[in-house]
Amino acid sequence: MKQAVEIAAAVRSGKTSAMAVLEQCLAGLAAEGGRLVAVTRILADRARSEAAAVDAAIAAGHEAGPLAGVPYGVKDLFDVRGLPTTAGSSLYADAPPAQSDAEAICRLRAAGAVLVATLNMDEFAYGFATINARHGTTRNPHAPDRLAGGSSGGSAAVVAAGLLPFSLGSDTNGSIRVPASLTGIYGIKPSHGALPMGGVFPFADSFDDIGPFAVSVADMRSIWDVLAERQAAQDDPIRIARLGGRFRDNVDPDQIAAMDAIAPDAPLIELPDIARARSAAFLITAAEGGRLHREALTRDAMAFDPATRDRLIAGALLPDALYDAAQAFRAEYRQRIADIMADYDVLLAPATPCPAPLIADPQILIDGALSPARADLGIHSQPISFTGLPSLSVPLRRPGRLPLGLQLIGREGGEATLFRFAALLEDKGLTGITWPAGAYQGDA
Amino acid sequence: MARLSKPSFLPDPFLLCLIATVAGASFAPVRGAAISWVGAATDFAIALLFFLHGAKLSRAAVLAGAGNWRLHLYVLASTYMLFPAIGLSLVALLRGYGDGLLLTGLLYLSLLPSTVQSSIAFTAIAGGNVAAAVCSASLSNIVGIILTPLLVGLFMAVDGGGSGFSWHSVQAIALQLLVPFLAGHLLRPWIGAFIDRHKKLLMPVDRGSILLVVYTAFSAAVVGGIWSQVGIADLLLLLLLSLLMLIIVMGAILGLARLVGLPRADMIVLLFCGSKKSLVSGVPMAGALFPAAQVGVIILPLMIFHQIQLFLCAALAGRFARGGATLQRPALPRTGAEIEDAAQRRGLTIAEPCMAGVSANLALLDRHADTLFAAGKA
Repeated sequence: MKQAVEIAAAVRSGKTSAMAVLEQCLAGLAAEGGRLVAVTRILADRARSEAAAVDAAIAAGHEAGPLAGVPYGVKDLFDVRGLPTTAGSSLYADAPPAQSDAEAICRLRAAGAVLVATLNMDEFAYGFATINARHGTTRNPHAPDRLAGGSSGGSAAVVAAGLLPFSLGSDTNGSIRVPASLTGIYGIKPSHGALPMGGVFPFADSFDDIGPFAVSVADMRSIWDVLAERQAAQDDPIRIARLGGRFRDNVDPDQIAAMDAIAPDAPLIELPDIARARSAAFLITAAEGGRLHREALTRDAMAFDPATRDRLIAGALLPDALYDAAQAFRAEYRQRIADIMADYDVLLAPATPCPAPLIADPQILIDGALSPARADLGIHSQPISFTGLPSLSVPLRRPGRLPLGLQLIGREGGEATLFRFAALLEDKGLTGITWPAGAYQGDA
Repeated sequence: MARLSKPSFLPDPFLLCLIATVAGASFAPVRGAAISWVGAATDFAIALLFFLHGAKLSRAAVLAGAGNWRLHLYVLASTYMLFPAIGLSLVALLRGYGDGLLLTGLLYLSLLPSTVQSSIAFTAIAGGNVAAAVCSASLSNIVGIILTPLLVGLFMAVDGGGSGFSWHSVQAIALQLLVPFLAGHLLRPWIGAFIDRHKKLLMPVDRGSILLVVYTAFSAAVVGGIWSQVGIADLLLLLLLSLLMLIIVMGAILGLARLVGLPRADMIVLLFCGSKKSLVSGVPMAGALFPAAQVGVIILPLMIFHQIQLFLCAALAGRFARGGATLQRPALPRTGAEIEDAAQRRGLTIAEPCMAGVSANLALLDRHADTLFAAGKA
């Protein structure tokens, strides 16, 4: 499938129609979606109604919006009017239907985008693997025997496979950046709170954000402008640093080589107390997740996915004083990081410690020991979430090999600079999407 | 490794600059035709200072800590109710014993907003809630632009202690301080990135503006005969009164924090934001509020208080930081009995199939707690 900006231009100019784009997209999802275990619900009727409205607007000579006729999907934790918001759990399969769409969906609809599907995730977004007890494990389009990453794995997989030009996910500790890295596409975690969270099932309020997956920087910027309701403005010259210390342990040599090639003269800096930051993030996430689901755990713990359930119960048992200590450390830490960021616009870091692990053996090597991928794929993204800074995962260009991503970390509110720098890297051929063999080739 | 450096206030270089400026004004005060030129430059410097304050104010940073409204009310109450009450009481007690204008200066300082930068820095050092400190200190400063002149009008016009205050100057302050502040803040979408990026470069502008106002104020004061009016005994009295004021306020804050059960991180915010008085706001405001010949004497108590608060708060912040590092690490439930007990207290029942998984996850969280509490080691 083409890029979102190309589809929108073609629909607006009358070269094709939103309905034609949609029908091709639905055909692709029907043909290819099942093998990826990425889609949880196809919203064909709703999508046809939205596509018809876009075509009608164009026929009447009205402005159809910057994403006119562009199909997309959302992670299974966004409110979709008339459907239960399940957050990937059987527990909410029969919940009362949402009364209205999530705010992000409303903004995309106003921009002409067409919602086509809801997408698979780790239950309650608690994991980096998209191993879901109800829907199954999402497959990586580049290697179906490997994980797509998580928790927004379904959202990443459909975009990486060419089935949808973009999708929405959520990121608490890396749930956009990890699957973006493992499936070789773009995914952004915004500055904390920069994108609308209305109508999004929460996980850990301190770190929850939503963000898009896309196949190009141009698409990412265009979707950002719609979601943030503002233009990503231009900026001054970009000051870059490479992150050292823990960010150069547990990495693929290709990631180090890429960072050094991108900015050979950039200083190598260390963020202070990275291990403590990740641990504090881990504890806050566990405590807030446990607190959020405590009532449901009291009512029917056995209805949870067993792996999620035990993590949530453990989080619910954390002493309040430990949570308070982690939050106090976070407040002080963010101030320290803000001081460091006064000198830089973009920090380079790996997005994941390795390429996608095998589904049959979902473990990764951390500090020389095997560790569950579900918990530790976010080793490099989690400390960044802790700072609240925006982070864009960009795919390294490495045809023929499993995808890997880098994080471009910006100043608070500095997404525009990240897009500008990512576009430079894309133009130089250092980063960019590599379609998997057998990617959907529909000519939308 | 990049770290937030602990500010060193021994000696404070800015204090040395202030002393040098006062000395410069004492030996070479601006006179004659130059007065109007320097006066115009001072007006421009004040406007620039508040323009930059407006441009530096990040709404996102303020909103990040805005949820803790009860804490912000305590801070505002300390700054604009407790301090003025102490100021008024001291002035009433000492009337007839000290220089009238100096006492006016003491009352004036009690009506000022809190500092922004040092309140946040001390809160960070002490391990307090920095997001709330950013919000509280910024709020206090914004409110002060309007409230301080009103309080000055209310208490000093009524007090009538020879302050020379007139309500007309409240209007002047709106033009000279509030308008540039609002202009700077409204232009932030365009100039904010530049301002944030060049904070270090802009600091000399910030401080240079204050020094220029101090120079102008002391020139007029010297010509008016300040050093025949104020002696060493007056300065020592001011030193003692500043210390007394701070001790009373801090004692009241700690008592209130205990009474209402504020968490430690928030208590630190209240202590450092609620006990400060801003030199950066107070000096230009005095320039706009009081006759030129009186400004030098009126800001003298503020300059002394400023240094006392830095010394005392630096010592307290260090003490809190050391205390925080030795905080007891809360124990996690690890054995079956401990897990059952903790679950029961939260209304949970651990079914048998869950126990192994819960126990393994608590072990993982325990390791993360170890890492977090490796304070001072990491």
